[in-house]
Amino acid sequence: MKQKGRIVVRIEISTLFDANGKLNHQKMDRLAMVLSNMHNSGQELLLVTSGAIALGSDRLGLSIKAEDYSMLMVAAAVGQAELIRQYQDCFDQYNQMVAQVLLTSDILYDEKRTLNTQNTFNTLLSMSIIPIINENDVVSTSDIELDDNYPLALNVATVAKADIILIKSDINSNYIIQPRNGFKATLVTNEQDLFSTLDRVLYHLSEEKDEKYVFPDSINEIVFEKDVK
Amino acid sequence: MKRDAFKDIKRVVVKVGTSTLSYSNGRLNFQRMEKLAYALSAIRSRGIQVVLVSSGAIGVGSGRIGLVQRPKDTSTKQALAALGQAQLMKIYQKLFDGYNQKVAQVLLTKDIVTIPQRHKNAQNTLFKLLALGIVPIINENDTIATDEIEFGDNDTLSAMVATLVEADLLILLSDIDALYTADPKADSSAKIIPSVTSITPEIEQLAAGTGNSFGTGGMITKITAAKITMEAGIDTIITNGDEPSVLFDILDGKEIGTHFISGVEKS
Repeated sequence: MKQKGRIVVRIEISTLFDANGKLNHQKMDRLAMVLSNMHNSGQELLLVTSGAIALGSDRLGLSIKAEDYSMLMVAAAVGQAELIRQYQDCFDQYNQMVAQVLLTSDILYDEKRTLNTQNTFNTLLSMSIIPIINENDVVSTSDIELDDNYPLALNVATVAKADIILIKSDINSNYIIQPRNGFKATLVTNEQDLFSTLDRVLYHLSEEKDEKYVFPDSINEIVFEKDVK
Repeated sequence: MKRDAFKDIKRVVVKVGTSTLSYSNGRLNFQRMEKLAYALSAIRSRGIQVVLVSSGAIGVGSGRIGLVQRPKDTSTKQALAALGQAQLMKIYQKLFDGYNQKVAQVLLTKDIVTIPQRHKNAQNTLFKLLALGIVPIINENDTIATDEIEFGDNDTLSAMVATLVEADLLILLSDIDALYTADPKADSSAKIIPSVTSITPEIEQLAAGTGNSFGTGGMITKITAAKITMEAGIDTIITNGDEPSVLFDILDGKEIGTHFISGVEKS
C-alpha cells in the first residue's frame, strides 16, 4: 500500500540557478513536475527554497557584495516576488496551486507564531496547496543566508511535524531522504528510485510509533544509510 | 503643510484597501488596478518616491479557490493570504511592468515597531529600494501575524510605514470620499470636512459607525492612522480611490477628500 507522509523539500540555490547567476527555467520546471507528481501521489509537500537574492540581483542588473546586507535585502525584496511568480508559472502547468510563506528565524521561539504558522501549513495542505517557504530577509535579524537554507528547512519540518526532509542537491540530480527521529539518511541518485525509496522510508516510519521529530541540526551531521536498497 | 505644497513633495505612501481593488462581489477590479499602476508609475516618473501599501491578499486567495464568501476562521484566512499574496504580487508585477516600473514585495509584522533591529533593517531596505526608484509593495505578513486579521488593519500599517520611511504624505484610498459632518448615507445635509488640524473627540465621534463591509477598516481606523502620522509630522489625505487619477489631483494641490494637517515638524 502507498504510504502517505508529510515531506519538507529543501532546494539548494544551485539546483535552480546556473553558475552565471541566471535562473535555469528548465530545472525549475522539472522540479515543479516531480513535486506536482509527488503531491498527486498523495504526499503532503512543503517547499523550502532560496533564490530571491540571486533573482533580484539579476533583475536589478547588479552584482552585490556578500557583506552589503542592505543591498542584499533590496535584492531579496525584488527577487522574492519574481521567484514566487516563476514558481507559480511552473506549477500552474501541472495544475498545482502554490502559496507563499515568508518566515523569520524566531518562528520557533514565539509560541503564538509557531501555532499560527502550524495552522497555516495544515490548512494549506488540507486545501492541496504546496506552501513555498523562504526566509523573510527584509526584516530578518540573522545574517542573510546566501546558500544554506537547511536551518530554515529544519524549523519548517519541526513546525509542520514533517516525516521527512527531502534535500534536492544539484550534484548529479541527487536527493537525500532524511527521516525524522534520527534515522539515517538515504541517498537517491536518480529520479526513478525516488518514489519507491520514499515509500519504503515512510513505511518504515509508520511502523515506528515514536512521535518525536528530530532532525540533524546541520546538513553536515547527516549520516547516510550504508545499504541504500 | 498647505495643499499647495503637495506639488513639491518627495516621498508619498499610498494605501489601497480591498474595496478599491475589488468589485463588491470580492473579485479583483483589474481595470482599477491597471489605473493605479499607471498613476503610481507616472508619479514615480515625476521623481517622487512612492510606497504602496496594499490589501487584497485574502480576497485574491478566496477567488483562486472559488470561495464566494470571505472565510471567517483565522487559519483559513492565513492560508488564503499565503495563496493570495503570491498571486496579488504577480498581478502587480505584470501591471507595473507595463510601465517599466520595478516593484518589490515587503511583508511586515508589528515587529518593525517593537524590535529595534527589525525596525532598522526594514527602514534601510525601504530607503534603498526608494533610492533605486523601485516601488515597494507592502502588506502585513498575515501568515504569522494574527493581529492584522483579528484586530488591526492596513490603515494603521500604512501609518507606521509612512513614519518608517519618513514620508511627506500618506494617502488612504478607500470607498469613502472624505470625512463628513454626518453620515452622508443617512443625512443629506452632510458636508465634507476639507481639513482637520487635530483629532478631537468630536472627530472620533463622526468617524464611529461608518465603514464598509468588505475591508477590515472603516473610518475609525483611518482616523487612528491619521493620528499616528500627525504626531510624526506627516500629513494625511483620506479620499475615494474609485478613480486612481485622483492621485494626480491631490499632488497638484486640489481640494480633495479630507486633509489631516500635522502641526508637528517632521523629525
